[in-house]
Amino acid sequence: MDAIAGSKFSDVDEYGFKRGDKFDYKAYGKFMDSYLKTLTRRRIKWDALLKQNPDLSLLSPTLKRYIRKGIPGPYRTNVWMAITGADVQMKKQPNLYSSLLNIQHFNKEISDSISIDLPRTFPDNINFDLEKERLFNILCAYAHHNREIGYCQGLNYIAGLLLIVTKDEEKSFWLLKYIVEQITPQYHSHNMANLLRDLAVFRELVIRRIPEVNRHLEDLGLPYAVIASKWFICIFAEVLPVETVLRIWDCVFAEGYKIIFRAALALFTTHKSAILNCNEIATLANLFRELMIKDSIVTNCHSFIESMFALRLKRNEIESLRKVSVLNGN
Amino acid sequence: MATTPRSGGSNSGAAQRPNGTSQNKSCQFKLVLLGESAVGKSSLVLRFVKGQFHEYQESTIGAAFLTQTICIEDTVVKFEIWDTAGQERYHSLAPMYYRGAQAAIVVYDIQNQDSFQRAKTWVKELHKQASPNIVIALAGNKADLSNIRVVEFDEAKQYAEENGLLFMETSAKTGMNVNDIFLAIAKKLPKNDNNQGSVIKPNGNEPTQTTNNCCK
Repeated sequence: MDAIAGSKFSDVDEYGFKRGDKFDYKAYGKFMDSYLKTLTRRRIKWDALLKQNPDLSLLSPTLKRYIRKGIPGPYRTNVWMAITGADVQMKKQPNLYSSLLNIQHFNKEISDSISIDLPRTFPDNINFDLEKERLFNILCAYAHHNREIGYCQGLNYIAGLLLIVTKDEEKSFWLLKYIVEQITPQYHSHNMANLLRDLAVFRELVIRRIPEVNRHLEDLGLPYAVIASKWFICIFAEVLPVETVLRIWDCVFAEGYKIIFRAALALFTTHKSAILNCNEIATLANLFRELMIKDSIVTNCHSFIESMFALRLKRNEIESLRKVSVLNGN
Repeated sequence: MATTPRSGGSNSGAAQRPNGTSQNKSCQFKLVLLGESAVGKSSLVLRFVKGQFHEYQESTIGAAFLTQTICIEDTVVKFEIWDTAGQERYHSLAPMYYRGAQAAIVVYDIQNQDSFQRAKTWVKELHKQASPNIVIALAGNKADLSNIRVVEFDEAKQYAEENGLLFMETSAKTGMNVNDIFLAIAKKLPKNDNNQGSVIKPNGNEPTQTTNNCCK
């Protein structure tokens, strides 16, 4: 634990995740010096905004701008619930969640596959052991609520992170429902049709913007499905550092699926030279699996989010590529 | 770690020469791991590639890619390992990984009869869809828990023999037979000098690093 020596930071982050032996405390300290100031500034701005009692379910230009700059932790749950309409849905069907938990016999295949994944969900989080039963409830309730989806591996990470943020089972359920049905429909279904479609769309976006990167990936033979399936399935949960994931989710909840493409593209553009410098498939795979998803570019969530929005990307472009991709059978 | 594989992880690059002798044959093979969820596919790879074991290995979403190099006699064998997600619905992604593979390890959990049935389904699919010469090994994993087994050794062995598969019971936890199963596969694969033409590159480009004489 030499890396931590002299650091003012704990080896566990504020969400309970262990920071790991290779965590760069020095770079993190440097980033936090400026980010803490940003957080304070944003907090004051949000306090003022919320005092005016705005309708958080309507994405005004101001609210959109504020959300892109990060929702302060204490307000995150309420803003997520309001901006997605999950709170309205929850009020409309106040008994839905409890009735799902009261199902007498859960489908054994579903509950077994969820149970297998419980100890495998965030084993490095020191608080999460106590949450496993609540995670089971959320996943089981959702799988029985939406039989077409059931349980898809990866949802455990989304629901787990929702639970860590909201600390509330029922709200996590409603936000999970929003993600699966509104943000990533048919990603988690039995044939994962839209996941395959959107991986093809992502490839096309890379070809249009950074063709040399696409060429390099194809020369070395690393498929997009290996690189990016988990990015899309988990919306970066269990991929990028937690704070970065939450900043991405702030924008996803406010602005929709397009943000996932923005984040994926930003990962490519900010690491363009690192990708091009890999001369063989093994180094390239390692870059995507271990290096670039933890490096200082993504840890600095504030500037990473800025790089996401520096990209030109219109909903129309994604939608038309989706149509082409479906016609081509991905 | 008992035997041959080198440590150094997935990005170990070219193999090192173990004892100063010159080796001049090198081969590269694409190997895919298939099997039901939570039978230990990723754990077998982690043990083989890094010599590590995590009791609660995170589930593989999509697929993972790693490499490991072993030496057999005068030949350096580099495995390109494609580790797949086990959950049934990820099946739609599987063909892209076993397409062009020269070897496959189909894994089941000796405590789980369903996982053995699922392994048989994978073997059938490989026989039908994969390269005709693919070398398939069947791994009955979690052999350290053999006192609570439900799949009998003899039953699996007989099935493997009838279907022309290599067969071992393995334990990613203890390391038992993990290197051996990869070694057995390497021995069974055809090793023409510089055998790498059959490693599929999507657009047919030559691999950037030639592996000839990689023990230098």
